[in-house]
Amino acid sequence: MKRTIFGVATAAVMAIASLASTPANAGGELHVLNWQGYGTDEAWAVKMFEERTGVKVVHDYFNSEQEMLTKLRTSPGTYDVVLINSSFTAAAAAEGVLQPVDPSKIANFGDLNPTLRDSPLFVVDGKLYGIAWVWGMTSVAYNTNTITEQPDSIEALWDPKYAGRVGWRDDAVESVSMAAIATGQDMNHPADLDKVREKLMALKNQIKTFWSSEDEWNKYFAAKDFDIAVYWSGSAARSKTNSGLPVGFVVPKEGAIGWFDGLSIAKDAPNVDAAHAFINFMVDPEFYVQWATTVGAPASANMKANQGLPEGDMGRAIHSDEAAIKRLQFMAPLSDEERAKYQELWDEAKASFAQ
Amino acid sequence: MDVQQRRRIAIVGLTAPAYLWLALAVFLPLSAMLYFSFLTVAPFGGREAELTLKHYRAFIDKPLYRDLAWISLKLGFHVTLICVLMGYPAALALARYVKGRWREALFLLVVLPFWSNALVRTFSWTMVLRGDGLVDRMIQAVLPWAPSLDLLFSYPAVVIGLVHAYLPYMILTCYISLQAIDDSLIEAARSLGASGATAFRRVILPLSVPGLIAGTVLIFVPVIGSFMEPRILGGPRAATMLGTVIEEQFTRIFNWPFGAALSFILLGIVLLILALSYPLLRRPMQAM
Amino acid sequence: MERVGGWLVRGYLGLVLVFLYLPIAVMIVMAFNRSPLYELPIVFDTVWFQALAKNERLLTAGFNSLWIAIANTIIATALGTMAALAFQRYSFRGRTLMQLLLFPPITIPWLIIGTSMLVMFFWLGIGRGLHAMLLGHVALSIPYVIVVVGARLKSFGTALEEAAATLGANPWQTFWRISAPVMAPGVVAAALFAFAVSFDQFVISYFLAPPGVSTLPVEIYSAIRKGFTPEVNAISTIIIVVSMGLMLLFARLYRFGGER
Repeated sequence: MKRTIFGVATAAVMAIASLASTPANAGGELHVLNWQGYGTDEAWAVKMFEERTGVKVVHDYFNSEQEMLTKLRTSPGTYDVVLINSSFTAAAAAEGVLQPVDPSKIANFGDLNPTLRDSPLFVVDGKLYGIAWVWGMTSVAYNTNTITEQPDSIEALWDPKYAGRVGWRDDAVESVSMAAIATGQDMNHPADLDKVREKLMALKNQIKTFWSSEDEWNKYFAAKDFDIAVYWSGSAARSKTNSGLPVGFVVPKEGAIGWFDGLSIAKDAPNVDAAHAFINFMVDPEFYVQWATTVGAPASANMKANQGLPEGDMGRAIHSDEAAIKRLQFMAPLSDEERAKYQELWDEAKASFAQ
Repeated sequence: MDVQQRRRIAIVGLTAPAYLWLALAVFLPLSAMLYFSFLTVAPFGGREAELTLKHYRAFIDKPLYRDLAWISLKLGFHVTLICVLMGYPAALALARYVKGRWREALFLLVVLPFWSNALVRTFSWTMVLRGDGLVDRMIQAVLPWAPSLDLLFSYPAVVIGLVHAYLPYMILTCYISLQAIDDSLIEAARSLGASGATAFRRVILPLSVPGLIAGTVLIFVPVIGSFMEPRILGGPRAATMLGTVIEEQFTRIFNWPFGAALSFILLGIVLLILALSYPLLRRPMQAM
Repeated sequence: MERVGGWLVRGYLGLVLVFLYLPIAVMIVMAFNRSPLYELPIVFDTVWFQALAKNERLLTAGFNSLWIAIANTIIATALGTMAALAFQRYSFRGRTLMQLLLFPPITIPWLIIGTSMLVMFFWLGIGRGLHAMLLGHVALSIPYVIVVVGARLKSFGTALEEAAATLGANPWQTFWRISAPVMAPGVVAAALFAFAVSFDQFVISYFLAPPGVSTLPVEIYSAIRKGFTPEVNAISTIIIVVSMGLMLLFARLYRFGGER
């Protein structure tokens, strides 16, 4: 009874709210929601798109997946294109904040890597809710000057000889995944959480500092705060090529984390046609090659686009290493309860670092 | 209109605008959050929510959150204590030993750091405190054989960062209290034979207590919920406080009810401390 | 003996100021350093100020912050001062409760308040926008104003006002000629607080700003994720220098808290 009343009340308020709020400008504007500095807001790309379609691109940003979802839930009719990590897409669609994408309007659809493009993570009730855009790995990066022999095991992060020289990212899901891989378990749903907790607590003397963005990673690495760290593949290539840092990247024998991001369209998007055009532009080799070579990017889901990269490109090398890709475990959707459990586990581990 | 009515109108007229504003912008939203804290999940996206006490019970059942609350309270005490010890003498200096134009100029100089962006300031601290940062270099310039202090990524670094951010509050509130004290009261005390120290102890200090209390409240309360300085300056060993865990419930996972519950528990702790210290404060307050 | 004590105390004040300005000095110095990664040694260059001049995003955000902060300061100081007056000069039922109600906005992390505002404004149809941001900023500044002005009023006591009343002054006269000058330093301090709270307010602005509109703290926070270049130092330096100039000007024109 209470639930029904609440549901009706919420619906009523939302209906009133949608009448009261000003409608977004649909004629000639495209609203994009993404991480800042993650490709869609490249000034030259936006200009190219605006010149060709006459549609103005306006960006809004988020700093975590949860913030992205909060913005989607509380701003209906505001956004057109949204970047969503594939492990979140199905849940967002089921919640009703997304609308299906029409593949016939994406000219480059056929060139996308089938494993990513047709991934069940994008499909809910037989409808497609995301277009695979970029993919990458989260694995081990190290300083090639101080660590001359490439580490081949994930245990390197726990190696006492690197005590106080390890960089880590303060992310519960990522940490649980790495510990699960190190203890030989399924990284998304590890059976033995106690083992995972123990493994994470064993990092106590290892971690020098947490990093939370590529730029921070670069600054710490350049200041020689850590020699070995968890890091993203595309970013490792970028740090080496663009910032000139002595970065090596390896997928250890136990495996590493694989992930891919998709571009989706918000429900009640004001400009659906422009949204499709923009997504197509983003997976087009013309955009991708320039993005990857001038700025640096993760691997594209478009196979032709990847081939457009120059021969010696480190990113290209990393992302075409078939053997390494086979060792990856890809991020899967997690329930709210699982996320909460992993967050608590990680918080326990972090609290133990203080003792 | 009689005096009583006029008085009532004055009270309502003076407080209504502020409190109506607060009601709409803060109390109403917070009551929604309070309601959420008793639900199993936040009622969005078709989720079915039920009433529960489990979020509040988690605080009692799981040692993790009690430990974090304790660490956060300790942080609050340390930072506030240092701010009092550092800030009160500075306010005293400004109010009683600096005269004329200098006083205003210095007062404004104390306020100025407020206007710099907190994030940029905190990052500047990383440059000062890190191994081979400013502090280390200054020490090495004087004592070349000294080891690196490398204060960054530690609890002391968090304390330093927070003291720096909140010290102006203490100096300001103590200053405006001290400065309100009528000089003639001091002169009277002196002429009655009181020494400088006694005049301070029995006249100045009691009269400046409101400023001390105001400063304490404005510092202690936000510090125990802080998450930015611990995140940036604390490193793995000092970054996890109640504030950061609350933040995670909103930015890393979708557990608003739990984040809300922790926040209200935090509020409850603050009010409890206030209630416990009220008897101690009543005396000096009433002496005025 | 008194003299030595006096100088000791002033020296201490100097040390405190050094502490307060240490990171600010570093921030300003780094604005003039050529390295984008904040590497030493310092190579003097104004390149970041030039970059800032072209950085429309950062500049627009800075101006947005400024206008909102000014509006916020005026409204919050007015509302808060009135409430503080009522609390200190009248005793009435419910006063303690109302004073306690000032604790939630200060205690509860701004993230919670921001999220709850976002949700509530969404439900109420207020939505996101400059009006919503101002609503939020003022609400967060009011408690500070009330506490600061209240402390000032309390320390001062009611003696002068009571004396004025017995001498036949009506409430208006008492207010303008006694209470106002007494309150003034407190009000000014509270206004400075309110401005700082708003100008540096990240969370509320982040949640309630409409897409495409940004404020300085939000820009800086996002910049840190993307790449924290010294342009941020440059704009912070400009803000500090301009504020210092304004404040010194203000101090010349208005002597508050001076000798009686």
